Amino acid sequence: MDNSVQNSADVAALIENTRIMQAAAAKKEAALAEKLKKRAVRDADESKMFRRFKIKDIVFLAIITACTLLTSAIMPLLIHVSVFGIIQLGLGLQFSIFPVIGLMKVRKAGSMTLMGIFIALFLVMMFPPMALIAVCAVVVELIVFAIFRSYKNDWACVLAGTLYMPLTVPLLYLYYNVNYTVTGAENEAVSMFLGATDPWVIVGMTAAIVALCFVGSVIGMLISRELKKAGVLKK
Amino acid sequence: MKSVRVKGIKLYPLFAVLGALFIIIFGLVTARNQNLCWYLLGVFVWLCIFGCYKGCLKMLPAFIIFGGAFAAIAYASAGGDLPAAISMLNRFGALFLGVAASMSVEAVRMTRALSQIHTPRAITLGMLISMSFVPMLRGEVRRVREAMKTRGAGSVLNPKIFYRAFLVPFVMRLVNISDTLALSVETRGFTLGGSPYTVYKKQYPAVLDVLFILGIVAGAVLVVVL
Repeated sequence: MDNSVQNSADVAALIENTRIMQAAAAKKEAALAEKLKKRAVRDADESKMFRRFKIKDIVFLAIITACTLLTSAIMPLLIHVSVFGIIQLGLGLQFSIFPVIGLMKVRKAGSMTLMGIFIALFLVMMFPPMALIAVCAVVVELIVFAIFRSYKNDWACVLAGTLYMPLTVPLLYLYYNVNYTVTGAENEAVSMFLGATDPWVIVGMTAAIVALCFVGSVIGMLISRELKKAGVLKK
Repeated sequence: MKSVRVKGIKLYPLFAVLGALFIIIFGLVTARNQNLCWYLLGVFVWLCIFGCYKGCLKMLPAFIIFGGAFAAIAYASAGGDLPAAISMLNRFGALFLGVAASMSVEAVRMTRALSQIHTPRAITLGMLISMSFVPMLRGEVRRVREAMKTRGAGSVLNPKIFYRAFLVPFVMRLVNISDTLALSVETRGFTLGGSPYTVYKKQYPAVLDVLFILGIVAGAVLVVVL
């Protein structure tokens, strides 16, 4: 008799406990559902500059990065050629075509930064100073957002692609300076950076890098437009 | 920290990357030190002992060809200056050894290690895909070129043909692969939000990993001191 009373009290307590837990969970679930609903509304609004990344965005940007890396395998060789801007000139085309394609599919704030981070994780193994390309990506995004507000305009993507690689040119100074300051030949560092102190070399190479990146960005835009027209490049 | 792992040594991914970075930066900075070549030789042996022999052997032909070529150029351009050639060889040696060390890290193990230290999922997922996709993309490039040959599209060196018959189909393949992969990743439960997750096979540094790093740093100290 006592046992059955005890059991029924335990069951009642258990049921009560479950109800309390369910009520708490229901509140949390409702809050989560509300949050997800708001998030979905915000993500669906393409006029918003800051939208959350989806898995497919990350995957596409990562594949585009892999593609950029595959074509930049010549970099370890170029870093030893002491000609001003030779790295940027060698990599300018592939570092503008593919990022522009990435940006034209994933038109969200932070896309360029994400690509920059992915690339930096690998470039740090090839040539550590170039890992600062992630910083360049952030700067590029700031410039693009200051001018165009978002990536909705195709030319915003082109501008981002055009500026991305040329902004890494000052990194050369860092490399040469650190490398040769430690070895005690600062003058050599400066002369190597400036291309035997000839300003025309700097101007010429910088112009060539910007022109190359612009051409690459336009090619990237044309490919993306073509794919969009064919219905392959869906949002 | 786990106990000593000896059988089939696999370095702790983050230590391997740190070691690789140290080798590259130290090599580039002290390339002109004549003792550096002995250090690099020692690092080569050290990496082979710690299970990176495959990466080292893969890098060796590239080092001999490119390092040799650039050393010869440096020797000729510096008017027969042997130290200039050795410093160029040192730079290439440091770079290729660093790459060999980082090549020994599997993408999955690196992702696990980064997940354990709470790296954002977007970064680890992107890194995993980027690391795993380079060999696959090589295959895709080969397939597109084979298709070009089959269709008799002409030389890839012609910019128009390169654009129309190579670049556009290649990017199209990338988009299709990306869509399929994204679906596959989502169906396997990957999410980008702050939802909790577990790492099935956790990565921990072992005593051997510490020994690996200490060996590399000790060698560098000897180069500077001696």
